Amino acid sequence: MSSRPQRPAPALSLVADNETSAPHSEQRGNADRNLDWSICMALAQSGDREAYRGLLIEITPYIRSLAVRQLHNRADAEDVVQETLLTVHAVRQTYDPTRPFGPWLVALANRRIVDALRRGGRIGARETPFEEEHETFVPLAANYHDAAADGRTVQAAVERLPPGQREAIRMLKLEEMSLQEASRTSGTSVAALKVATHRAMKNLRKLFEHSGKPK
Amino acid sequence: MNTTPHLIDSLVADAAPVRPLRPPLERTLTWMLIAGFILTLLGISHGFRPDIDTCLRDPLFLTGLAGSFATAALAGGAAFTVSLPDRSRAWILLPLPALALWMASIGYQCLTDWIRVGPGGVQLGEAATCFSLVLLTSIPLWVAMLVMLRHVAFLRDPAAAIAATLAVAAVAASALSLFHNVGASAMVLIWNFGATAVLVLFGSVFWNRVSSWVNPR
Repeated sequence: MSSRPQRPAPALSLVADNETSAPHSEQRGNADRNLDWSICMALAQSGDREAYRGLLIEITPYIRSLAVRQLHNRADAEDVVQETLLTVHAVRQTYDPTRPFGPWLVALANRRIVDALRRGGRIGARETPFEEEHETFVPLAANYHDAAADGRTVQAAVERLPPGQREAIRMLKLEEMSLQEASRTSGTSVAALKVATHRAMKNLRKLFEHSGKPK
Repeated sequence: MNTTPHLIDSLVADAAPVRPLRPPLERTLTWMLIAGFILTLLGISHGFRPDIDTCLRDPLFLTGLAGSFATAALAGGAAFTVSLPDRSRAWILLPLPALALWMASIGYQCLTDWIRVGPGGVQLGEAATCFSLVLLTSIPLWVAMLVMLRHVAFLRDPAAAIAATLAVAAVAASALSLFHNVGASAMVLIWNFGATAVLVLFGSVFWNRVSSWVNPR
Protein backbone atom coordinates (compact mmCIF):
# COMPACT_ATOMS: atom_id res chain seq x y z
CA MET A 1 0.00 0.00 0.00
CA SER A 2 1.12 3.49 -0.69
CA SER A 3 0.47 6.69 1.15
CA ARG A 4 0.13 8.73 -2.01
CA PRO A 5 -3.25 10.30 -2.72
CA GLN A 6 -5.28 9.18 -5.69
CA ARG A 7 -6.87 10.12 -8.99
CA PRO A 8 -10.55 10.25 -8.20
CA ALA A 9 -11.69 13.44 -9.88
CA PRO A 10 -11.96 12.74 -13.63
CA ALA A 11 -13.42 9.33 -13.17
CA LEU A 12 -16.16 10.48 -10.83
CA SER A 13 -17.65 12.69 -13.51
CA LEU A 14 -18.23 9.55 -15.56
CA VAL A 15 -20.39 8.08 -12.82
CA ALA A 16 -22.26 11.35 -12.51
CA ASP A 17 -22.99 11.56 -16.22
CA ASN A 18 -24.28 8.03 -16.40
CA GLU A 19 -26.38 8.07 -13.29
CA THR A 20 -27.98 11.51 -13.32
CA SER A 21 -29.59 10.84 -16.66
CA ALA A 22 -32.03 8.44 -14.99
CA PRO A 23 -35.58 9.61 -15.65
CA HIS A 24 -37.33 8.71 -12.41
CA SER A 25 -36.86 10.56 -9.17
CA GLU A 26 -36.18 7.37 -7.20
CA GLN A 27 -33.49 6.38 -9.66
CA ARG A 28 -32.15 9.90 -9.48
CA GLY A 29 -32.04 9.61 -5.67
CA ASN A 30 -30.18 6.30 -5.87
CA ALA A 31 -27.82 7.78 -8.43
CA ASP A 32 -27.15 10.79 -6.22
CA ARG A 33 -26.54 8.55 -3.25
CA ASN A 34 -24.25 6.32 -5.31
CA LEU A 35 -22.37 9.39 -6.53
CA ASP A 36 -22.03 10.72 -2.99
CA TRP A 37 -20.70 7.39 -1.81
CA SER A 38 -18.29 7.20 -4.75
CA ILE A 39 -16.95 10.66 -3.92
CA CYS A 40 -16.66 9.83 -0.22
CA MET A 41 -14.84 6.57 -0.96
CA ALA A 42 -12.44 8.29 -3.36
CA LEU A 43 -11.75 10.90 -0.66
CA ALA A 44 -11.33 8.14 1.92
CA GLN A 45 -8.79 6.42 -0.32
CA SER A 46 -6.80 9.62 -0.34
CA GLY A 47 -6.88 9.76 3.47
CA ASP A 48 -9.87 12.04 4.24
CA ARG A 49 -11.06 10.61 7.57
CA GLU A 50 -14.21 12.72 7.90
CA ALA A 51 -15.41 11.65 4.45
CA TYR A 52 -14.65 8.06 5.43
CA ARG A 53 -16.58 8.38 8.69
CA GLY A 54 -19.57 9.87 6.87
CA LEU A 55 -19.47 7.06 4.32
CA LEU A 56 -19.30 4.29 6.92
CA ILE A 57 -22.16 5.83 8.92
CA GLU A 58 -24.31 6.15 5.79
CA ILE A 59 -23.72 2.66 4.44
CA THR A 60 -24.30 0.95 7.81
CA PRO A 61 -28.13 1.00 7.69
CA TYR A 62 -28.02 -0.04 4.03
CA ILE A 63 -25.84 -3.08 4.82
CA ARG A 64 -28.07 -3.84 7.82
CA SER A 65 -31.16 -3.89 5.60
CA LEU A 66 -29.44 -6.31 3.19
CA ALA A 67 -28.37 -8.56 6.07
CA VAL A 68 -31.74 -8.58 7.85
CA ARG A 69 -33.48 -9.49 4.60
CA GLN A 70 -31.33 -12.61 4.25
CA LEU A 71 -30.71 -13.66 7.84
CA HIS A 72 -33.95 -12.83 9.73
CA ASN A 73 -31.94 -12.53 12.93
CA ARG A 74 -30.95 -9.16 14.36
CA ALA A 75 -27.85 -10.39 16.20
CA ASP A 76 -26.46 -12.28 13.18
CA ALA A 77 -27.32 -9.32 10.94
CA GLU A 78 -25.34 -6.96 13.18
CA ASP A 79 -22.37 -9.34 13.04
CA VAL A 80 -22.60 -9.25 9.24
CA VAL A 81 -22.76 -5.44 9.29
CA GLN A 82 -19.56 -5.28 11.33
CA GLU A 83 -17.79 -7.91 9.25
CA THR A 84 -18.77 -6.06 6.06
CA LEU A 85 -17.44 -2.77 7.45
CA LEU A 86 -14.18 -4.53 8.32
CA THR A 87 -13.97 -5.95 4.79
CA VAL A 88 -14.73 -2.56 3.23
CA HIS A 89 -11.86 -1.16 5.27
CA ALA A 90 -9.46 -4.00 4.44
CA VAL A 91 -10.06 -3.96 0.67
CA ARG A 92 -10.85 -0.29 0.10
CA GLN A 93 -7.99 -0.13 -2.40
CA THR A 94 -9.95 -2.47 -4.70
CA TYR A 95 -12.65 0.16 -5.29
CA ASP A 96 -12.20 1.85 -8.64
CA PRO A 97 -13.59 5.43 -8.46
CA THR A 98 -14.54 5.24 -12.15
CA ARG A 99 -17.16 2.62 -11.32
CA PRO A 100 -20.36 2.89 -9.23
CA PHE A 101 -19.94 2.29 -5.52
CA GLY A 102 -23.20 0.37 -4.95
CA PRO A 103 -22.33 -2.91 -6.73
CA TRP A 104 -18.92 -2.97 -5.06
CA LEU A 105 -20.49 -2.60 -1.62
CA VAL A 106 -23.29 -5.08 -2.30
CA ALA A 107 -20.77 -7.67 -3.54
CA LEU A 108 -18.81 -7.38 -0.29
CA ALA A 109 -21.97 -7.51 1.84
CA ASN A 110 -23.25 -10.55 -0.05
CA ARG A 111 -20.01 -12.45 0.60
CA ARG A 112 -20.25 -11.78 4.31
CA ILE A 113 -23.95 -12.76 4.28
CA VAL A 114 -23.08 -16.04 2.55
CA ASP A 115 -20.39 -16.65 5.18
CA ALA A 116 -22.96 -16.05 7.92
CA LEU A 117 -25.48 -18.38 6.27
CA ARG A 118 -22.84 -21.12 5.98
CA ARG A 119 -21.81 -20.58 9.59
CA GLY A 120 -25.45 -20.72 10.61
CA GLY A 121 -25.92 -23.93 8.64
CA ARG A 122 -22.97 -25.58 10.35
CA ILE A 123 -24.10 -24.50 13.81
CA GLY A 124 -27.70 -25.42 13.08
CA ALA A 125 -26.68 -28.95 12.08
CA ARG A 126 -25.11 -29.60 15.49
CA GLU A 127 -26.74 -27.28 18.01
CA THR A 128 -30.22 -26.30 19.07
CA PRO A 129 -30.39 -22.87 20.66
CA PHE A 130 -32.42 -22.86 23.87
CA GLU A 131 -34.80 -19.97 23.54
CA GLU A 132 -37.83 -18.70 25.37
CA GLU A 133 -40.29 -20.33 22.99
CA HIS A 134 -38.99 -23.76 23.97
CA GLU A 135 -40.58 -23.23 27.38
CA THR A 136 -44.29 -23.85 27.77
CA PHE A 137 -45.14 -20.35 28.91
CA VAL A 138 -43.19 -17.16 29.21
CA PRO A 139 -43.83 -16.64 33.02
CA LEU A 140 -41.23 -18.77 34.81
CA ALA A 141 -43.58 -20.07 37.51
CA ALA A 142 -45.83 -21.66 34.90
CA ASN A 143 -42.99 -23.90 33.68
CA TYR A 144 -41.94 -25.35 37.03
CA HIS A 145 -44.90 -27.39 38.22
CA ASP A 146 -42.97 -29.18 40.98
CA ALA A 147 -41.64 -25.94 42.36
CA ALA A 148 -45.13 -24.45 42.29
CA ALA A 149 -46.54 -27.46 44.18
CA ASP A 150 -43.77 -27.18 46.81
CA GLY A 151 -44.49 -23.47 47.12
CA ARG A 152 -48.16 -24.13 47.80
CA THR A 153 -47.26 -26.72 50.49
CA VAL A 154 -44.93 -24.31 52.26
CA GLN A 155 -47.50 -21.53 52.05
CA ALA A 156 -50.15 -23.81 53.63
CA ALA A 157 -47.76 -24.78 56.44
CA VAL A 158 -46.89 -21.14 57.13
CA GLU A 159 -50.61 -20.33 57.41
CA ARG A 160 -50.86 -22.85 60.22
CA LEU A 161 -48.20 -21.09 62.34
CA PRO A 162 -49.12 -18.72 65.21
CA PRO A 163 -49.53 -15.10 64.00
CA GLY A 164 -46.22 -13.78 65.43
CA GLN A 165 -44.16 -16.59 63.93
CA ARG A 166 -46.06 -16.41 60.63
CA GLU A 167 -45.34 -12.70 60.34
CA ALA A 168 -41.64 -13.23 61.15
CA ILE A 169 -41.29 -15.97 58.51
CA ARG A 170 -43.15 -13.88 55.92
CA MET A 171 -40.94 -10.85 56.40
CA LEU A 172 -37.54 -12.52 56.93
CA LYS A 173 -37.75 -15.60 54.69
CA LEU A 174 -40.38 -14.96 52.04
CA GLU A 175 -39.87 -11.23 51.50
CA GLU A 176 -36.17 -11.48 52.40
CA MET A 177 -36.15 -8.37 54.62
CA SER A 178 -33.21 -7.70 56.92
CA LEU A 179 -33.79 -7.98 60.68
CA GLN A 180 -33.67 -4.18 61.02
CA GLU A 181 -36.23 -3.65 58.24
CA ALA A 182 -38.54 -6.28 59.68
CA SER A 183 -38.16 -4.74 63.15
CA ARG A 184 -39.06 -1.28 61.84
CA THR A 185 -42.02 -2.63 59.84
CA SER A 186 -43.52 -4.77 62.59
CA GLY A 187 -42.54 -2.68 65.63
CA THR A 188 -41.04 -5.82 67.20
CA SER A 189 -37.51 -5.97 68.61
CA VAL A 190 -34.78 -7.72 66.68
CA ALA A 191 -34.29 -10.27 69.47
CA ALA A 192 -38.01 -11.11 69.47
CA LEU A 193 -37.96 -11.55 65.69
CA LYS A 194 -34.99 -13.92 65.94
CA VAL A 195 -36.78 -16.00 68.56
CA ALA A 196 -40.04 -16.02 66.56
CA THR A 197 -38.18 -17.08 63.39
CA HIS A 198 -36.29 -19.84 65.21
CA ARG A 199 -39.54 -21.22 66.68
CA ALA A 200 -41.33 -20.93 63.34
CA MET A 201 -38.60 -22.95 61.60
CA LYS A 202 -38.81 -25.65 64.27
CA ASN A 203 -42.60 -25.78 63.90
CA LEU A 204 -42.41 -25.94 60.11
CA ARG A 205 -39.87 -28.77 60.30
CA LYS A 206 -42.21 -30.66 62.58
CA LEU A 207 -45.17 -30.05 60.30
CA PHE A 208 -43.30 -31.39 57.24
CA GLU A 209 -41.92 -34.38 59.14
CA HIS A 210 -45.37 -35.16 60.35
CA SER A 211 -46.97 -34.88 56.91
CA GLY A 212 -44.08 -36.82 55.20
CA LYS A 213 -43.20 -33.97 52.85
CA PRO A 214 -39.58 -33.22 52.12
CA LYS A 215 -37.94 -30.48 54.12
CA MET B 1 -17.70 -7.56 20.19
CA ASN B 2 -17.69 -3.76 20.01
CA THR B 3 -20.77 -1.88 18.98
CA THR B 4 -20.95 -0.74 15.37
CA PRO B 5 -20.31 2.98 16.18
CA HIS B 6 -17.20 1.99 18.14
CA LEU B 7 -16.06 -0.14 15.22
CA ILE B 8 -16.54 2.80 12.85
CA ASP B 9 -14.46 5.00 15.18
CA SER B 10 -11.60 2.50 15.16
CA LEU B 11 -11.76 2.03 11.36
CA VAL B 12 -11.68 5.80 10.82
CA ALA B 13 -8.71 6.08 13.18
CA ASP B 14 -6.93 3.45 11.08
CA ALA B 15 -7.80 5.02 7.70
CA ALA B 16 -4.40 5.60 6.15
CA PRO B 17 -4.37 6.70 2.48
CA VAL B 18 -4.36 3.83 -0.01
CA ARG B 19 -3.64 3.65 -3.74
CA PRO B 20 -6.48 2.12 -5.80
CA LEU B 21 -5.36 -1.01 -7.63
CA ARG B 22 -4.30 -0.60 -11.25
CA PRO B 23 -6.67 -2.05 -13.89
CA PRO B 24 -6.57 -5.88 -14.24
CA LEU B 25 -5.02 -5.73 -17.73
CA GLU B 26 -2.15 -3.60 -16.47
CA ARG B 27 -1.58 -5.94 -13.50
CA THR B 28 -1.66 -8.99 -15.78
CA LEU B 29 0.97 -7.46 -18.03
CA THR B 30 3.13 -6.71 -14.99
CA TRP B 31 2.88 -10.30 -13.82
CA MET B 32 3.62 -11.63 -17.31
CA LEU B 33 6.69 -9.40 -17.43
CA ILE B 34 7.85 -10.99 -14.18
CA ALA B 35 7.22 -14.43 -15.71
CA GLY B 36 9.14 -13.45 -18.85
CA PHE B 37 12.03 -12.23 -16.72
CA ILE B 38 12.17 -15.52 -14.81
CA LEU B 39 12.05 -17.56 -18.02
CA THR B 40 14.86 -15.45 -19.46
CA LEU B 41 17.01 -16.07 -16.38
CA LEU B 42 16.28 -19.79 -16.61
CA GLY B 43 17.16 -19.77 -20.30
CA ILE B 44 20.50 -18.11 -19.55
CA SER B 45 21.37 -20.39 -16.61
CA HIS B 46 19.90 -23.69 -17.80
CA GLY B 47 19.97 -23.32 -21.57
CA PHE B 48 17.32 -24.40 -24.05
CA ARG B 49 16.73 -28.07 -24.68
CA PRO B 50 19.17 -29.58 -27.23
CA ASP B 51 16.48 -30.25 -29.84
CA ILE B 52 14.89 -26.80 -29.63
CA ASP B 53 15.42 -26.15 -33.38
CA THR B 54 13.54 -29.32 -34.31
CA CYS B 55 10.82 -28.60 -31.79
CA LEU B 56 10.23 -25.09 -33.09
CA ARG B 57 9.48 -26.58 -36.51
CA ASP B 58 6.96 -29.04 -35.02
CA PRO B 59 3.39 -27.64 -35.23
CA LEU B 60 2.26 -29.77 -32.30
CA PHE B 61 5.02 -28.43 -30.05
CA LEU B 62 4.26 -24.87 -31.11
CA THR B 63 0.55 -25.41 -30.49
CA GLY B 64 1.20 -26.75 -26.99
CA LEU B 65 3.61 -23.93 -26.19
CA ALA B 66 1.19 -21.30 -27.47
CA GLY B 67 -1.59 -22.99 -25.49
CA SER B 68 0.36 -22.93 -22.23
CA PHE B 69 1.48 -19.32 -22.69
CA ALA B 70 -2.04 -18.25 -23.60
CA THR B 71 -3.39 -20.14 -20.59
CA ALA B 72 -0.90 -18.35 -18.35
CA ALA B 73 -1.87 -14.92 -19.70
CA LEU B 74 -5.62 -15.52 -19.67
CA ALA B 75 -5.62 -17.24 -16.28
CA GLY B 76 -3.56 -14.38 -14.87
CA GLY B 77 -6.06 -11.91 -16.32
CA ALA B 78 -8.94 -13.92 -14.88
CA ALA B 79 -7.28 -14.01 -11.44
CA PHE B 80 -6.74 -10.25 -11.36
CA THR B 81 -10.28 -9.58 -12.59
CA VAL B 82 -12.26 -11.94 -10.36
CA SER B 83 -10.25 -10.77 -7.38
CA LEU B 84 -12.11 -7.45 -7.62
CA PRO B 85 -15.36 -7.65 -5.64
CA ASP B 86 -17.63 -5.99 -8.21
CA ARG B 87 -16.54 -8.00 -11.27
CA SER B 88 -18.43 -11.00 -12.60
CA ARG B 89 -17.32 -14.46 -11.53
CA ALA B 90 -17.76 -15.52 -15.18
CA TRP B 91 -14.28 -14.14 -15.84
CA ILE B 92 -12.97 -17.40 -14.36
CA LEU B 93 -13.96 -19.08 -17.65
CA LEU B 94 -11.62 -16.85 -19.68
CA PRO B 95 -8.64 -19.27 -19.84
CA LEU B 96 -10.73 -22.34 -20.73
CA PRO B 97 -10.20 -22.29 -24.56
CA ALA B 98 -6.43 -21.89 -24.19
CA LEU B 99 -6.43 -24.53 -21.45
CA ALA B 100 -8.22 -26.96 -23.77
CA LEU B 101 -5.62 -26.34 -26.49
CA TRP B 102 -2.77 -26.85 -24.06
CA MET B 103 -4.22 -30.01 -22.52
CA ALA B 104 -4.99 -31.51 -25.92
CA SER B 105 -1.42 -31.06 -27.14
CA ILE B 106 0.05 -32.49 -23.94
CA GLY B 107 -2.19 -35.53 -24.12
CA TYR B 108 -1.15 -36.36 -27.71
CA GLN B 109 2.55 -35.84 -27.05
CA CYS B 110 2.36 -38.10 -24.03
CA LEU B 111 0.68 -40.88 -25.96
CA THR B 112 3.28 -41.01 -28.72
CA ASP B 113 6.25 -40.61 -26.39
CA TRP B 114 4.97 -43.25 -24.03
CA ILE B 115 4.79 -45.78 -26.80
CA ARG B 116 8.22 -44.83 -28.14
CA VAL B 117 10.17 -44.61 -24.94
CA GLY B 118 8.36 -46.98 -22.61
CA PRO B 119 8.35 -47.04 -18.80
CA GLY B 120 12.01 -48.13 -18.62
CA GLY B 121 13.08 -44.85 -20.20
CA VAL B 122 12.14 -42.82 -17.18
CA GLN B 123 15.24 -41.72 -15.33
CA LEU B 124 15.45 -40.38 -11.79
CA GLY B 125 17.91 -37.73 -12.86
CA GLU B 126 15.50 -36.38 -15.45
CA ALA B 127 12.77 -36.28 -12.83
CA ALA B 128 14.93 -34.28 -10.45
CA THR B 129 15.83 -31.77 -13.18
CA CYS B 130 12.21 -31.54 -14.17
CA PHE B 131 11.07 -30.95 -10.61
CA SER B 132 13.72 -28.32 -9.95
CA LEU B 133 12.59 -26.48 -13.09
CA VAL B 134 8.99 -26.52 -11.88
CA LEU B 135 10.04 -25.15 -8.49
CA LEU B 136 12.41 -22.52 -9.91
CA THR B 137 9.63 -21.21 -12.12
CA SER B 138 6.70 -21.58 -9.78
CA ILE B 139 7.97 -20.26 -6.47
CA PRO B 140 8.86 -16.70 -7.57
CA LEU B 141 5.67 -16.48 -9.61
CA TRP B 142 3.64 -17.68 -6.63
CA VAL B 143 5.25 -15.07 -4.42
CA ALA B 144 4.44 -12.37 -6.99
CA MET B 145 0.83 -13.57 -7.21
CA LEU B 146 0.46 -13.64 -3.42
CA VAL B 147 1.71 -10.10 -3.09
CA MET B 148 -0.41 -8.78 -5.97
CA LEU B 149 -3.55 -10.58 -4.78
CA ARG B 150 -3.06 -10.22 -1.04
CA HIS B 151 -6.45 -8.52 -0.59
CA VAL B 152 -8.20 -11.71 -1.75
CA ALA B 153 -7.67 -13.20 1.72
CA PHE B 154 -10.30 -10.80 3.05
CA LEU B 155 -12.75 -11.78 0.30
CA ARG B 156 -12.35 -15.51 0.98
CA ASP B 157 -12.96 -16.26 -2.69
CA PRO B 158 -11.44 -19.47 -4.12
CA ALA B 159 -12.03 -18.39 -7.76
CA ALA B 160 -9.06 -16.01 -7.79
CA ALA B 161 -6.87 -18.63 -6.12
CA ILE B 162 -7.72 -21.28 -8.71
CA ALA B 163 -7.11 -18.91 -11.64
CA ALA B 164 -3.81 -17.73 -10.13
CA THR B 165 -2.68 -21.31 -9.61
CA LEU B 166 -3.52 -22.21 -13.18
CA ALA B 167 -1.53 -19.23 -14.43
CA VAL B 168 1.55 -20.26 -12.43
CA ALA B 169 1.25 -23.89 -13.53
CA ALA B 170 0.95 -22.84 -17.17
CA VAL B 171 4.14 -20.79 -16.99
CA ALA B 172 5.90 -23.72 -15.31
CA ALA B 173 4.73 -26.02 -18.11
CA SER B 174 5.98 -23.55 -20.71
CA ALA B 175 9.37 -23.53 -18.99
CA LEU B 176 9.47 -27.34 -19.08
CA SER B 177 8.64 -27.33 -22.78
CA LEU B 178 11.44 -24.88 -23.56
CA PHE B 179 14.20 -26.10 -21.28
CA HIS B 180 13.61 -29.78 -20.67
CA ASN B 181 14.64 -32.69 -22.87
CA VAL B 182 11.79 -34.43 -24.63
CA GLY B 183 13.40 -37.83 -23.85
CA ALA B 184 11.77 -37.71 -20.41
CA SER B 185 8.32 -37.17 -21.80
CA ALA B 186 6.66 -39.39 -19.21
CA MET B 187 8.20 -37.34 -16.42
CA VAL B 188 7.25 -34.12 -18.18
CA LEU B 189 3.68 -35.32 -18.33
CA ILE B 190 3.64 -36.48 -14.72
CA TRP B 191 5.09 -33.24 -13.45
CA ASN B 192 2.88 -31.13 -15.68
CA PHE B 193 -0.24 -32.73 -14.35
CA GLY B 194 1.15 -33.45 -10.90
CA ALA B 195 2.45 -29.96 -10.33
CA THR B 196 -0.77 -28.46 -11.66
CA ALA B 197 -2.88 -30.68 -9.42
CA VAL B 198 -0.71 -30.04 -6.36
CA LEU B 199 -0.63 -26.30 -6.99
CA VAL B 200 -4.39 -26.13 -7.57
CA LEU B 201 -5.05 -28.19 -4.44
CA PHE B 202 -2.55 -26.24 -2.37
CA GLY B 203 -3.89 -22.96 -3.69
CA SER B 204 -7.50 -23.89 -3.01
CA VAL B 205 -6.95 -25.31 0.45
CA PHE B 206 -4.26 -23.05 1.87
CA TRP B 207 -4.72 -19.85 -0.12
CA ASN B 208 -6.39 -17.95 2.67
CA ARG B 209 -3.81 -19.00 5.25
CA VAL B 210 -0.82 -18.30 3.01
CA SER B 211 -2.30 -15.03 1.85
CA SER B 212 -2.88 -13.90 5.43
CA TRP B 213 0.87 -14.27 6.08
CA VAL B 214 1.69 -11.68 3.44
CA ASN B 215 -1.27 -9.54 4.39
CA PRO B 216 -1.08 -8.68 8.08
CA ARG B 217 -4.14 -6.88 9.39
